[in-house]
Amino acid sequence: MLITLIRRELLNNLMTFRFAAATFIMLLLVVANTFVLINDYESRLASHNNSVNMHKRQLQETNTYSAGEIRVDRPPNPLSIFNVGYDKQLGNEVRISHIYVPSLWDAGMHGSSNPFMDMFASMDIIFIFEVILSLLALIFAYDAFAGEYQSGTLRLVLTHPVRRGNILVAKYISAMLCLIVPLSISLLLSLILLTTSTSISLNTDDFLRISGIIFTSIVYLSVFYLIGLLISAITRRTSTALMLSMFVWGFLVLVYPIMILAVIPQHDAPQERKTSAYDKIEQMWQELDKERKQYLATDDFPGEDWGYELRGWGYRSSNFIMFGNPHTLIYKCRGVLKFTGFGEEDEYKMPHAQKHFRYLGPRIIDTADKTWLVRKPALEDIYIHPANTERIWLKLSPVGLYDAATKTWSGTDVRGVRDFFHAARQYRKRVNDFFIDTDVFGSRQWFSSDKGAADWSDLPHFAYQRVDSNINAMRALPDVCLLLMINVVLFIIIFLIFVKSEV
Amino acid sequence: MVWHIALFNIIWRELYDNLNSLRFALATLLLLGLMLTNAIVHLREHPERIQKYHNAVVEHHQRLEAAANESLYKLAQKGPGYLPKKPSSLRFCAEGGESYLAETAQGGHHRWGTDTLESFWILAYPSASPNRQNVRPVVSKVDWGFIIGYVLSLVALLFTFDSISGERERGTLRLTLANSIPRHTVLIGKFLGALISISIPFILSILINLLVISMASDVHLGAEMGGRLGIIFFIALLYTCLFLALGLLVSARVQRSAVSLVVLLLVWVVFVVFMPSTLASIAGGSTSSGPSLDFSERSEKLQEELSKEYYANRFKEPADSHKGIQMDSEYVTKDAEQQERLHAERLYQRVEQVNRARAITRISPVTIVQHLLESFAGTGFERHLQFLENVQNYARELRAFIDDTDRADPDSLNILGVPAGMSQKPVNPESVPKFEDTLNLSKDFNTAATELLLLVLFLMALISGAYLAFVRVEI
Repeated sequence: MLITLIRRELLNNLMTFRFAAATFIMLLLVVANTFVLINDYESRLASHNNSVNMHKRQLQETNTYSAGEIRVDRPPNPLSIFNVGYDKQLGNEVRISHIYVPSLWDAGMHGSSNPFMDMFASMDIIFIFEVILSLLALIFAYDAFAGEYQSGTLRLVLTHPVRRGNILVAKYISAMLCLIVPLSISLLLSLILLTTSTSISLNTDDFLRISGIIFTSIVYLSVFYLIGLLISAITRRTSTALMLSMFVWGFLVLVYPIMILAVIPQHDAPQERKTSAYDKIEQMWQELDKERKQYLATDDFPGEDWGYELRGWGYRSSNFIMFGNPHTLIYKCRGVLKFTGFGEEDEYKMPHAQKHFRYLGPRIIDTADKTWLVRKPALEDIYIHPANTERIWLKLSPVGLYDAATKTWSGTDVRGVRDFFHAARQYRKRVNDFFIDTDVFGSRQWFSSDKGAADWSDLPHFAYQRVDSNINAMRALPDVCLLLMINVVLFIIIFLIFVKSEV
Repeated sequence: MVWHIALFNIIWRELYDNLNSLRFALATLLLLGLMLTNAIVHLREHPERIQKYHNAVVEHHQRLEAAANESLYKLAQKGPGYLPKKPSSLRFCAEGGESYLAETAQGGHHRWGTDTLESFWILAYPSASPNRQNVRPVVSKVDWGFIIGYVLSLVALLFTFDSISGERERGTLRLTLANSIPRHTVLIGKFLGALISISIPFILSILINLLVISMASDVHLGAEMGGRLGIIFFIALLYTCLFLALGLLVSARVQRSAVSLVVLLLVWVVFVVFMPSTLASIAGGSTSSGPSLDFSERSEKLQEELSKEYYANRFKEPADSHKGIQMDSEYVTKDAEQQERLHAERLYQRVEQVNRARAITRISPVTIVQHLLESFAGTGFERHLQFLENVQNYARELRAFIDDTDRADPDSLNILGVPAGMSQKPVNPESVPKFEDTLNLSKDFNTAATELLLLVLFLMALISGAYLAFVRVEI
């Protein structure tokens, strides 16, 4: 019996104009945009590769260790084609240095991109699904009950010994089958386009992530179909159901995400949190400075200057500088020496200078590590937590949940981007170890290249791997579960309304 | 005269039908909610913006004053500092991507210095990158541009999708036409009826919006602003008409209202939601073949070449000889010139790319209306270009002033760029030109004219289409 019902519903749905139009539009939009998105990804990848090479070259050209700037670049995420998330907007290169612990807030952006172009909203496949799938689901659902009430066919069906639950299930299954057709065809086409592109290589993990995205899309689709059914069951008139569905759609998809962030009170972290953390960090560095001065005062070389008044051919940035930015709670001390040669009369100062830097290097590393312990929780409080509150507000709409879940699957959410900076911090540790093990701080090449330039060839290599797909799955789980729960709740409500309704 | 009465009757009937409907109530609710949100956000953010602008102006004046009190050379070397862009008080009408456009241009940033020489100021264009460290969710702003461009157009479609096909389904259309009323009268009646019934919630919500905004004492809307708001309202109506005509066209062509709505929604989604960003990314992506060298690297290279040449020859001359000073001057001025040119070149490349993208996205009516709103609200990209032009004019003016004042000093050698070659007397701070950003309506209108024309063309095409479709339709 259920099969008969499903078949009837399927035929009813498949032979309609809305099904043809929907499939056509989905295909058109998804294919056109996949082309654009692949192009965009390729150009970002090219820019990334350029930048990696440039940084490598710049490092090789630097002939003292103190002036060397090791930079690592965040590669674009191929799954940003599905949901671009934060992949494009957050910084994609960061400097690795012993003087500070790198974080998202210290990252820069490759130079060649055009910041004005950020004005245009960026598009991705999930956005198309968000808008079109929800619209389609409502268009398929609005007359499911209301239409049958009006035309009287529901009455006819119920004269047979059919249970009402069966009718509901048949309607749900057949409509979902119909809706999955355009979704799967368009996804399949975009996957084919993706695999034909030479620059994009997807591994098994990526395919697992993509199947996660597909599953989430189906759940999302089902939420909107059930919303449409609910409206249809309540209103009992097609024209009213249609009108209500469209306004609900406009509100949930277009208006709510934009309005809610404007309406909720701004959760800016208190200024005191910022200043207290910054003061603490500054104090740590001042302590280091004091220690350094004490060292200079007690060592066997007269004078207090950190660079031992070395005079050579080259430059030194003027002083042992301490500077910071209370906005991102960064504080650095920095002094660069870069000499290509010295006069004879300075030669006797060299051992003192080397000893000084050998003393100073590990202490700077320690202080930087210590300040990170203060800085990290402060940054979380000031930037991450308010952002998370806003995200929770957005998740009150199924659109927000869907967006968040697919972002997490693709690894383009904030956590995914921060994974890179975590890797950068690990890399910094390795670089520091390398510096200490090979006595880079105490070497003559730290500040001078007159007897051999700095040798960068033994520097540890940086490689960044995105997290495993099961971690993505774990992160996406809460949002997907919420979506599923919305489904169940809606289904139960519709069932109750439908069972109790008079025909 | 009979058809006048008939038209009046049809409008009246349409109005009556619409005002009693669910969609009217929902549309009113939606528009009111959005407009109130818009007003609240504006009241929260605008005073901060104005305060920021005033602080920047004060800073700019102080910097000029301090330099002028020192000497003319210092003034010429240090430059005017950050030049702030005047925020528009109509920003609630069109946000126009303002948060992605810099609020200032930079005039004077210490680049290098030697024992005797210092770099001269150049005009640079820092970019605003609000998102670089922003981990908050990014959504577009609730401005009139969004409310009109997206919500009002959707509402217009929902008001007209069944106006002809629905009557045909019910059979009332046949009845109406039996009363010897010409078809175009029926069409005009339906069009005007829908327009009026949409205008009612729209005007209501606009009035409440303006009331809330003008109640706050620190936001002042003058007569000129009133004129601009009037034009914006007119544009909004024109845009609504566009979608009403589209709705009537499809409704007349299609037999069933459900099909009509599906068609309309799909057209709307494609043209309004997807077209702008897809086209922008096509236009932006295809042209981003930037220079292979990094900007800062190019800048350093230019500087390095120049200084190499300078140091190779400079020490052949005595330090304070006339020729030596001339060489110093050449070094400093040439450096400033080429660096400024580099910055300007990069700016023009970027502007070109954005202009291309903006030109292509005009296919979508929502972009046209947003550009129009931006130009009358004094925000957005065109306005930013106007600001940059103002800045460049000011830079010329300030340099001309320094030149003239230097010439007027008999003790000066009139060799720019070197302390020894320029006037060392302080300048009267009052006489130094100060930067003030201006908003110019007539200029706005010129940039808007093409877009207005395009919008009208779209409208004409759709209205005549709807007319033809309705006249030839069988009932």
